[in-house]
Amino acid sequence: MQKRIYILLMFLLSLNLLSAQSLNLKFNNNFNGLPLVFNEKLVTPLGDSIVFSTLNYFISNIQLVDNHGNIYAIPQDSSYFLLKQKIASNHTIKLVDIPKGKYKQLIFTIGVDSVRNTMDVTKRTGALDVGADARGMYWVWNSGYIFFKLEGKTVNQIDSLRKNFRYHIGGYGGYASKTINNIKVKNLTFNKLIIGGKRCPTINIDVNIDKFFDTITPVKIKEHPSVMWGDFSVKIANNYFHIFNLGKIIYE
Amino acid sequence: MNKLILLTAIIIFVATSSFLINNEQPTPRRLDLPSNFPKPTYDISNNPITEEGFALGRYLFYDGLLSKDGTISCASCHQQSAAFIQADHDVSHGVDDRIGKRNSLPIFNALYKKSFFWDGGVPKLDFVPVNPIENELEMDEKMDNVINKINKSSKYKLLFKRAFNVEVITSKELLHALAQFMYAMVSSNAKYDKYVRGEGAKLNEKEKEGMVIFSKKCASCHSSDLFTDDSYRNNGLEGENPSDKGREDITLNIVDRAKFKVPSLRNIVITAPYMHDGRFKSLEEVLMHYSSGVKYSKSLDPILQTNHKLGIPLSINEQSSLLDFLATLTDSTLLTNSEFSNPDH
Repeated sequence: MQKRIYILLMFLLSLNLLSAQSLNLKFNNNFNGLPLVFNEKLVTPLGDSIVFSTLNYFISNIQLVDNHGNIYAIPQDSSYFLLKQKIASNHTIKLVDIPKGKYKQLIFTIGVDSVRNTMDVTKRTGALDVGADARGMYWVWNSGYIFFKLEGKTVNQIDSLRKNFRYHIGGYGGYASKTINNIKVKNLTFNKLIIGGKRCPTINIDVNIDKFFDTITPVKIKEHPSVMWGDFSVKIANNYFHIFNLGKIIYE
Repeated sequence: MNKLILLTAIIIFVATSSFLINNEQPTPRRLDLPSNFPKPTYDISNNPITEEGFALGRYLFYDGLLSKDGTISCASCHQQSAAFIQADHDVSHGVDDRIGKRNSLPIFNALYKKSFFWDGGVPKLDFVPVNPIENELEMDEKMDNVINKINKSSKYKLLFKRAFNVEVITSKELLHALAQFMYAMVSSNAKYDKYVRGEGAKLNEKEKEGMVIFSKKCASCHSSDLFTDDSYRNNGLEGENPSDKGREDITLNIVDRAKFKVPSLRNIVITAPYMHDGRFKSLEEVLMHYSSGVKYSKSLDPILQTNHKLGIPLSINEQSSLLDFLATLTDSTLLTNSEFSNPDH
């Protein structure tokens, strides 16, 4: 009996240790300061009235830098996440088994690195599976992942041809010939993050989609209703690089 | 008595377990690589060929299940009797009689290719099938739908279990099976091959003459015994504003305008029509183009504009010898090998 209790205690203790070394990254898609919703009329900073229908993006290659400057990288094979606005449960990335310590920086890629874009199919599981989760997030004719996808329609355009808008942004730099590289590595610095304490931290990352349309390059929908594989995609990627910002860090 | 029971039990256990083990391990399949070919580009060790994997790939290749409405299979546009292209079609035909963008390319010798499709948009063989499956003008299906359909098929459940020992099929196994079937198609038994490998075949005088002309005037692009350098070139079909930008659509670089993959010339006699848009119905027309039809544009290949002249000078006699030589590149074993035919016929 005593032995059983001991085992149970060990089990609970190990569970506790596990949770203590975890970290959540919560991506909050916002629009004009409010949580983003589909099928509701919104107005972009450039005055376009729109309704969104799709917002998906890849987050990958997550790293943490501790106060001594040591980098901890989440193991490569489990460091690819596809966040879909439609699925509320997947806006939070749960990371476990992170070394205890104090950290000052979070690094992640918006998109998928070039190596993984050309790897053998055995390395394309989970979020990267073109026959499952990654549906619609892969260019089949120009092999490579779509890093960031935003779709919807305008409600104030009379011209029906330009009613729908689609932004499919990808480009890992090319395999044999050099071409567009829209891989964006984001660096978020904070004062203090404690991993391994009593409570599990959640880093909130605010993604301000309204700013997608007006950060460096203004994106007027009538002028750019469809941006996919082309030079303008570089400008869009530079815009969305800036819309991922550090929110509050909370401990639960 | 007890001992006897124990012994019997052991025997039964060993017999059944070895049976189970045998059942789980697919049988490796022999793959003969010709001595006159370069090193394969595909990493076979990542997806070694087995009898079960190959057989499965063959079923999939001939199955309309891969398309949206069940009407189009890989074999619709890659017919064995036409060396795995779509016979008599300038561009490929998809679901609902939709017309594709380009002329279908053959499948054989995929093991050696550096990239795939006319514009090289897909660098890895594993991901080749995803392109026609999801192309709206071809099979117009989604990969996850294909995976769902396959997981509902008791036939495929069994075949995938045999080939990859999986209960749930994912894109990985699907693409590996198709890759195995495709890379097994090594075409290396033309009269030409048997001649260069010293296997008894002889070329006649005219064919030999054609071979000499070929090595002087064609082999800089159609090089090695694969008869292609796998590069992209503008061969002067159109002038400055081509209807299809080719490789430029992939690299977004203007220097690649109207450049297309140099196709292999193996089995060329039976893969008409020719060029990325199937504009030439015969090889005679192709040779006419090179001798007198090449049009200038900024990205025209330098080889086609040497000594300030466009094209490749080819006399009527030379063209005739070349045609005879090209006919020696037909590998009839590929066209008739029952292992590559429709398994349901």
